[in-house]
Amino acid sequence: MATFNVNSIGTACPGPITDLIRAYKKAQNGDMIVLVANDPGVVPDAKIWCERTRNEFVSSKDTGDSLEITIKVTGKKA
Amino acid sequence: MKVIRMKKIAIIGSGAGGLITSSKLAKELSKEIKNEEVSITLYDKKTEQEFQPGYLEVAFRGTDPSKIKKRVNKLVNPGVNMVYENVEKVDLANRYIRTEGSDKNRDFDYLVISTGASPDYEQIPGLKEANRDFHTNADKSSLIYNEISNIKSGKIVVGIGGLPYKCPPSPNESAFMLDEYFTRKGIRDKVEIVYVTPFTRIYSAESISEVIEPIYKNRSIESITTFNTDTVDPEKKEITSLEGETLKYDHLFLTPPHKTAGFLKGSEYSDEDGWVKVDKKDLHITTYDNAFAIGDTTNIPISKAGVEAHLEGIVVGSNIIGDIRGTDKNYKFTGRTQCSMETGFHKATFVVGTYDRPVEKIEPSRMNYMEKKVMEEIYWSSLRGHYEWLFKYHFKEDYFQD
Repeated sequence: MATFNVNSIGTACPGPITDLIRAYKKAQNGDMIVLVANDPGVVPDAKIWCERTRNEFVSSKDTGDSLEITIKVTGKKA
Repeated sequence: MKVIRMKKIAIIGSGAGGLITSSKLAKELSKEIKNEEVSITLYDKKTEQEFQPGYLEVAFRGTDPSKIKKRVNKLVNPGVNMVYENVEKVDLANRYIRTEGSDKNRDFDYLVISTGASPDYEQIPGLKEANRDFHTNADKSSLIYNEISNIKSGKIVVGIGGLPYKCPPSPNESAFMLDEYFTRKGIRDKVEIVYVTPFTRIYSAESISEVIEPIYKNRSIESITTFNTDTVDPEKKEITSLEGETLKYDHLFLTPPHKTAGFLKGSEYSDEDGWVKVDKKDLHITTYDNAFAIGDTTNIPISKAGVEAHLEGIVVGSNIIGDIRGTDKNYKFTGRTQCSMETGFHKATFVVGTYDRPVEKIEPSRMNYMEKKVMEEIYWSSLRGHYEWLFKYHFKEDYFQD
């Protein structure tokens, strides 16, 4: 299992979701994606994205300077 | 006698960004070029350039591909040395480049990389055999028009096949233009148009999505969001997503994911996919203040579109001129986007924003469509360095800060 660290600081909509999707394409089920961004829209967007792609939205954390979202890849076909 | 060493400016890529930057530099440094204090060299094997936004017109309105092509030698400023060779190596630390098959080091004082982006069919197995696109070139775009001319009924799938891709509004435009084509032909009720996107909404920016969603509904264009194309089976005529969902089609005109120029992959100044890492405001490459990248080549978080290459080229050109002349002026790019989106039947909207300002909500209008057409008319002249005043007036100097 791998962890994909995606830095989307300084990118606004749709930047973080573009970065998330690009990382997701390279990931396998069981891998984690940690997305760091400072666009406030990223949390609801990532939640909707996880719901629709059947991936697991593990957590979101506001670190003051940025938002850190952790996603577990579970939605890919076997 | 004081000897002034000639400053050498190298520009890689003769697309919109490379031509605009070289034209601006050659015009404004004409005296220095004449006095042999400055030289400008533009590297690219291509002898012909195409008006890429015109691919939609070729694909969906049947414009002759030859109408959107121009010889490079008709576009390059006489003050620029054109070298019709592709670059295969850039050594930023030692300030030299090499062209394909040559062991000669060509040194530079300033470098601008503007090598663009091109479709990458390798990322999606089966797509190349199944698909026709309007992003590769004008001739390939004309194959779509040949195909739609023969369609009497069936299901057409368009949309975003992968990320990143060039010209963000273009997949939506293809849906609207197909709707217009078959409506005018009187067989719209027999043709199903389906738009797919990996994003959670019809257009990635929410404000534009709100503008175009009702158009999709009113014109019965089906949209499927959060669809991550994984593979295509040309025999079964079926797309499979990363999540295992399948979608049938009769005709497929997906926008493929794009890749950077081959020589950039694996370089110390590119990210893992080969996009050049630049400061998003200064546009200089990582820690090198004499080397820049502009347009689709970069990893900055804005649209891959000609207008970005254009505006960034003006900013970078201005800063190189300032450095050569020893002024303290340093312009910064604001991240301004200005992508037109045709919504069919002679209407268009624009995707307008900056790094600091979210994308505006602009309703489609005929006036916007006319503005798009005016920009198309002046495109070739703008590559030669004309109309910079018009861009400054139009963008209200919104694309740079000093």
